[in-house]
Amino acid sequence: MTIEMANYAGHSLAILLTLLMAALTALFIPIITKRDDATPGLVVLTASLVLLAFFPAAHPDLLSLFYGALTISPFTRYLWPFFLAALAFTVLISLRSRDRRPGAGEYYFLLAMAALALIFLVSAGEFLTVFIAVELLSVCLYALAAINRSPIGAEAGYKYFLLGSFGTGMLVMGIALVYGTAGTLNFGAIKLALVSGLPFHPLMSAGFIFLIAGFSFKSALVPFHMWVPDVYEGAPTPVSAFMGAAVKAGGVVVLYRLFALTAGAPQFREIFWALAVLTMVLGNLMALPQQNLKRLLAYSSISHAGYIVTGFFGGTEGLKAALFYLAVYAAANIGAFAVVAALEKEERGVTIKDLAGLSERHPYLAGAMSLFMLSLAGIPPLAGFFGKFYVFAAALKSGCIWLVVIALLMSAVSVYYYLRVLVAMYMEKEPSVLEAMHSGAMNLALTLLALAVTLLGVFSGPLLRLAQAASIF
Amino acid sequence: MQFIDSNLLTVVIMLPLAGALALLAVPKERPALIKNLAFGISAAVFIISLRLYFGFDAACSAMQFTISRSWLPDWGINYSLGIDGISLLMVMLTNLLTPLAILASFNYIQEHQKAFYASMLALQTGMLGVFASLDVFLFYVFWEAMLIPMYFLIGVWGGQRRIYAALKFFIYTMLGSVLMLAAIIFVCLAHKEQFGAYSFSLFELYRTTFSLKAQLWLFAAFALAFAIKVPLFPFHTWLPDAHVEAPTAGSVLLAGVLLKMGVYGYLRFAVPLFPAAAQSFAPWLAGLGVIGVIYGSLVAWSQPDMKKMVAYSSVAHMGLIMLGIAAFEPAAVSGAVLQMVNHGLSTGALFLLVGVLYERRHTRLIEDYGGLAKVMPGFSAVFMIVTLSSIGLPGLNGFVGEFLLLFGSFKIYPWLAAAAVSGVILSAVYMLGMYQRVVFGPVRHEENRRLPDLSAREWSYLLPLVLFIIFIGVYPAPFLRKMDAAVKTYVQRGSGADLVCPAAKAPAPSVQPSRRQAVKPPSRPAVKRTPRKEHK
Repeated sequence: MTIEMANYAGHSLAILLTLLMAALTALFIPIITKRDDATPGLVVLTASLVLLAFFPAAHPDLLSLFYGALTISPFTRYLWPFFLAALAFTVLISLRSRDRRPGAGEYYFLLAMAALALIFLVSAGEFLTVFIAVELLSVCLYALAAINRSPIGAEAGYKYFLLGSFGTGMLVMGIALVYGTAGTLNFGAIKLALVSGLPFHPLMSAGFIFLIAGFSFKSALVPFHMWVPDVYEGAPTPVSAFMGAAVKAGGVVVLYRLFALTAGAPQFREIFWALAVLTMVLGNLMALPQQNLKRLLAYSSISHAGYIVTGFFGGTEGLKAALFYLAVYAAANIGAFAVVAALEKEERGVTIKDLAGLSERHPYLAGAMSLFMLSLAGIPPLAGFFGKFYVFAAALKSGCIWLVVIALLMSAVSVYYYLRVLVAMYMEKEPSVLEAMHSGAMNLALTLLALAVTLLGVFSGPLLRLAQAASIF
Repeated sequence: MQFIDSNLLTVVIMLPLAGALALLAVPKERPALIKNLAFGISAAVFIISLRLYFGFDAACSAMQFTISRSWLPDWGINYSLGIDGISLLMVMLTNLLTPLAILASFNYIQEHQKAFYASMLALQTGMLGVFASLDVFLFYVFWEAMLIPMYFLIGVWGGQRRIYAALKFFIYTMLGSVLMLAAIIFVCLAHKEQFGAYSFSLFELYRTTFSLKAQLWLFAAFALAFAIKVPLFPFHTWLPDAHVEAPTAGSVLLAGVLLKMGVYGYLRFAVPLFPAAAQSFAPWLAGLGVIGVIYGSLVAWSQPDMKKMVAYSSVAHMGLIMLGIAAFEPAAVSGAVLQMVNHGLSTGALFLLVGVLYERRHTRLIEDYGGLAKVMPGFSAVFMIVTLSSIGLPGLNGFVGEFLLLFGSFKIYPWLAAAAVSGVILSAVYMLGMYQRVVFGPVRHEENRRLPDLSAREWSYLLPLVLFIIFIGVYPAPFLRKMDAAVKTYVQRGSGADLVCPAAKAPAPSVQPSRRQAVKPPSRPAVKRTPRKEHK
C-alpha cells in the first residue's frame, strides 16, 4: 500500500468515524441539555454536509481494508455521498416535525446509524460484513418505524420486525450454505471459486437463492414486498422517504453484487429476470387503486426497484444507468414524501382526495409535487425520463427486448396513478382543507429536490460521468 | 441580431418557453398584463419566424437553418434542429395559430389565467420542437413533453368531463409512444452495430439497414404512436373526448397542430427510416385512412353538438391526408401536406367560431341556434367562408389540397380514392347542414335575438385565418413551392426507388463527413441531405 493509498484509506475511515461521532453526539445532547429541540438534527445535518463538502477525490484503485472486510472503490465513492445526501435531505425534512417532540436525540441517532450501516453494506468485501451491516440497518429501521409510539407506527415497526427477521433468517441460511460449499466468505474468493467450479454445486445454488430472496426482502422486490405498504404508511414520513430512497438503494446494490457473482449461471439471470418483471408488473398494478398517498408512493417505489433491476442486464452500461437512476429516483422519491410530510397531521399521511384544490392554496407545494410525480412517471424533460432511457437502452443493448418492452408498457401504466395526484391537485375544484407546515428547512429541501429533478435529466452529463466512473465494478 | 440569426430555430422554439417562465413571475393580480404579455410573446415568435419563411431557400432540398450541439455524448445524442419545406409550413402554422388561440382566450379563460397562458406557451415550444428536431431522441423528448401542457389545458380549463378526457388523452398517447421509444433505441443500437458509433441523428439513422422482418416490427412501433396522434381510424377514440372537453384554444391547437404531428411523424420518421416496411404497410394505412374518412363523416353527420361534429370531421380530414401520404406520389403528398395546413386553418377557425358562439350562449348544440344570419351577419359571413373551405369549395384552400391529394392517390389506389371522394361529398352534407340550421331560417330562440356580432378582438383573430383560406385557395403556388423539394425527397424514399439494392444504401464516402460534422457556420444552407438516387 502506497502512502497515497494509505492516506485515501485513512480519509475514508475518517468519514465513517465522523458520522459515528455525529450520531453519538446527537444521541447524548438531549440527555445533557435536558431539552428537546432541533440541536441533534442540526448536528447530524452539519456532519453530513461537512462530509459531503470535504469528500476525498476519487481514487481509481480498489482498496481492501481489514483483511478484506471493507472495500473502497470508485463504486463506493459514488454511493457514500449518495447516502450522505439522502441522510441530509431526510434530516432537513424531519427538522420541524421533530421539534419539541421527545426522543429527537434517538431519532437522529438512529437515522445517522442507518446511513452508516448502508455505507458499510455497500462497501462490504465479504458476507460477514454484509450481515452485520444489514442487522445494524434493520435494527435502526425497526426502531425508527415505531419511534412515534403511535398505534399505527407500532404496528408498522412490529410488522417490519417480524418480516424483516424472516428475511434476515434467509440471509443467514444463504450465507451458511455459500460458506459451506465455497469455504470462504470473501466476494472475490467466492467469485474465483464459482468461475472454476461451474456448474454450481446444488447447495451453492440454494445458498444464492436464499441470499437473493433475503435481499429482495430488503429492497422490496415482488413477491417479497408485503411489508412495504404497511411500513411506509405507518412509519414517520421522513423515515419512509429514507427507506424508499436510501435503504432501497443499499438493497439493490447488494443484489447487483449477487447478480455479478452469479453471472456465470443462466438460471440466476432467469431468477432476476422474473423478479424484475414481477416487480414492475405487480408493483404498478397494485399502485393503481391506492387512495393513501404514502401507500401509493410505497407501491411506486416497489415498481422502481424493478426498473433498476432491469438495468442489471445491461452490463457496465447498465450499472452506470442504474446508478444514475438511483440518484434521480431518490430525489423525486424523497421530494414526494417531503410534500406528504409537509401536509400530514399524523403518520398516516394524506389521501389523494385530501389533495383536492392544493394548487390553489399551496401552489408551490403542488408545483413541486407535480415535478416529482412527472419525474417518477418518466415524462421528459424531467430527470426520471432520462434515468429510464439510460436503463432501458442499456438493457436493450444486451438484447433484453421483452424485458424492456414490459418495463416501458408498465411505465406507461404508472402514468395513470401519478397523474391521479395531479388531477386531485389541479383539476378537482374543491377548496383545500390541508394546512401546510412551513419551515425554512423543508422549503429548502423541496426547492433543491425540485431543481434536481428538473435539471439532472436535461443536463445529465455531470451525474452521468460520476456514475460512469463508479461503474468500474 | 447576429445571435438571433445564427440560432434562429433555437430562438423561435425556446422563446415561448422562456415567455412561459417569465409569465410565472408576473403577479396574478394583473391579468391584463399576463394576457398581453402572453399574446405579445407568441406574436413576437410569429414575427421572428417570418425570417424563417422568407429566408427559406425553396430550391434546396437540404435541411436549412440547422443547429447542432452535442447534448448527451454518451449516446451520441445531439441538440440538432433544422427544417425542410414540410416542417417550415408546420412551424409557420403553429406560430400563426398560437397567438390567435391566445387572443381567443382573453374572455373565455377567467380562472388561473397565469397558468393557462404559461401552458399555451410551453405547448408552443413542444410543438415547434417536434417539427424542427433532427435528432430522434430530441424529437421524442418534445413529443412527450408536449403532453404535459396539453394535459393541463384540457384537465383544468375543460368542460364537464375534462378529467376523464385529459387522462384518456395522456395515457392513450403515452401507451403509443413508449413502444416507439423502444424502437428508437433499437434503431440507434443497430446503427452502432453497423457504423460503430452511437447516433440518434435522423440522417445517420436513415443509413441504417434492417432485415424486412425487423423493419416491419420497428415500423409498426412508430406507426402505432403516430396513428394514435393522427388519429387513424381504430385509434381515434380519444379525440372526440379531448376536443369536446378542451377549452377553445386547446381545441384549436389540438386540431390545428397536434394532429399534424402524427402525419409529420410518418413523413419524417416512420416512412423514411423503414421504407420497405412502409411499402408493405402503405395499403393498410391508406385503407384505414379511407375508413376514417367515411366513418368520421357518418358520425359527424349525426352529431347534435357542433364541437363534436367538427371533431369527427377532423377524423375524416386526417384520414384523407393519410391516404395522400400513403400513396407515395408527388401530387398526392403535396396535396396532403397542403391539406395539413388547410385543415389547421379551417378547423382551427371552426373551433374558434364555435367558441365565439359558446361564449355568448354557453351551449354548443346546433338546435339552440338558428337564424344567426340576421343577428350576427359578420359572424355568419366568416362562418360561411370557413365552412366552404372545410368542404373544399373551389376558390378556397380546401379545394386545392383535396384536389391534388385525390388526383395523386387515384393513380395509386383508384378504388380507395373513389371511396374517399364520397367522404368529401358527405362533408358537404353535414357541414352545410349544420351551417344551414345554425345560420339560416327564423330566429328560433328568444335569447338569440340580442346576440352581439363579432367584436374587434374576435375579428382580429378570425380575419387572418380567413385571409389565408382565400389566399391559398386562389394562389397556392408559393406554399407548394416551399414544400416541393421535401416532398420529392419523401416520395423518392418512400416509393422504394432506392430499395433495389441494399448495398446502394451505404453512402458515398465523400458525403459522410459533411453529415457527421455537427456544428455548422451561422449561415443557412448546411447539412446536405443527399437524395438517395445519387448513390446508385
